[in-house]
Amino acid sequence: MKKLLTLTLCSTLLAACAAPARYVDPAADDGAVTMTMDYRDFERAADDAVQDLLASGVVDNPSGERYVMVVSRITNDTMQRIDTDQLVKKIRVALLRSGKVVTTTAVGIDGAEDEMNMAARELRASDEFDQSTVQEKGTLQAPDLSLSGKIIQRNHRVEDEQQVEYYFQLSLTDLRQGFAVWENETPIIKRGPNDSVSW
Amino acid sequence: MFRSMFVVTVIAIAGAIAACAPVQPEREYVQRDDLKVDPEVRQFLVVRELLQSRVEQPGGGSLLQIQFSVEAYEDADLEWAVTWFDDAGMRVPSVGEGYQPAHVLMGQTRFFGAIAPHERVTSYQLHLREDR
Repeated sequence: MKKLLTLTLCSTLLAACAAPARYVDPAADDGAVTMTMDYRDFERAADDAVQDLLASGVVDNPSGERYVMVVSRITNDTMQRIDTDQLVKKIRVALLRSGKVVTTTAVGIDGAEDEMNMAARELRASDEFDQSTVQEKGTLQAPDLSLSGKIIQRNHRVEDEQQVEYYFQLSLTDLRQGFAVWENETPIIKRGPNDSVSW
Repeated sequence: MFRSMFVVTVIAIAGAIAACAPVQPEREYVQRDDLKVDPEVRQFLVVRELLQSRVEQPGGGSLLQIQFSVEAYEDADLEWAVTWFDDAGMRVPSVGEGYQPAHVLMGQTRFFGAIAPHERVTSYQLHLREDR
C-alpha cells in the first residue's frame, strides 16, 4: 500500500513537471532546430525560391496578363515521408498573391488536380441544370509555365556529429519552347548530435 | 630608475595588448523607421548599409528590393526578418513569417537581400535580433 502511494505520488510529480501542450507562433518560434525537415525549412526554401523568381522577372508577363502555371512532378528524394505540397503550396500562394501567376488545377501529371473541372462540364448533357450556367466549351486555359523539382537529402558523419544536407531544387519551364527559364537551388544544412534521427 | 623602468615596461605591454585587440566597428546606432536592431545584437555587430531600389519588371511594374550589410566584431549568430508595407502602411504578406538565421564571423562583412512580394509594396521594416 505504501509502495503504491509512493509510485502514484512520483508519477503525479513527473506529470506535473512535463511541458504542457501549447501553440507555436511561426513568426516568433524560439524552438530548437530539428535534424528532420520542419515547417521552417519549407518556409525558408519557398521564400528563397519566390524571391528569386520574382526578382528574375520571368513570371511577369509583358502583356500584363497573368501567366498560367501547372505544377509538374516534385520528387521527394529524402529519407523522410513528406508531402511536397508543403513546399509547392507556399510557392503557389505567394505567386498568386503577387498577381503575376495563377495555377491551373485542370491539368496535372497524374490527371487534373481538381477533377471537378471536367465533372462540371459533364452537366452539359443534363436537362436538370440551367445550361446557361454550365461552363462553355473552350473556356479552360492551357498552362504557359510548368514548375518541377526535387528535394534531395544527404547524410554525413563529421567527427562525432552528423551533418544532414537538404537541397530544394526547382525549375520553371516555358511550355511553348520547352526551356527551363528559371532554376533555383536552396541548400539547408544542419549539424547535430549523432543520436538525432533525420529520417 | 628601477621604478621608472617598471612603469615604462607596463605601459609598453599595455600598448602591445591594445594593438593586438581586434578593431571594433563603431557602435553608433541611429534610430530609423525602416531598421530595428535589438540592443543585444548591437553589442556584437553594426549595420553598415541599408539600401533600397526598385527592380523593373517586363510588364512595366517594379518590385522594391533591399540590401543590407552587417559587420561583426565577434563570431555571432543573428536572425533577421523583413516586414513589407503598402502605401497605406498596411502589411503585405510574404511567404514566410519566420526569421532568417545567419552566422557572421568576426571582422566579416556580410550582405543580405530581400525582394518585396508584390509591386504595391512601398516601404519595409528590417528587424535584426539575437539568435534564439
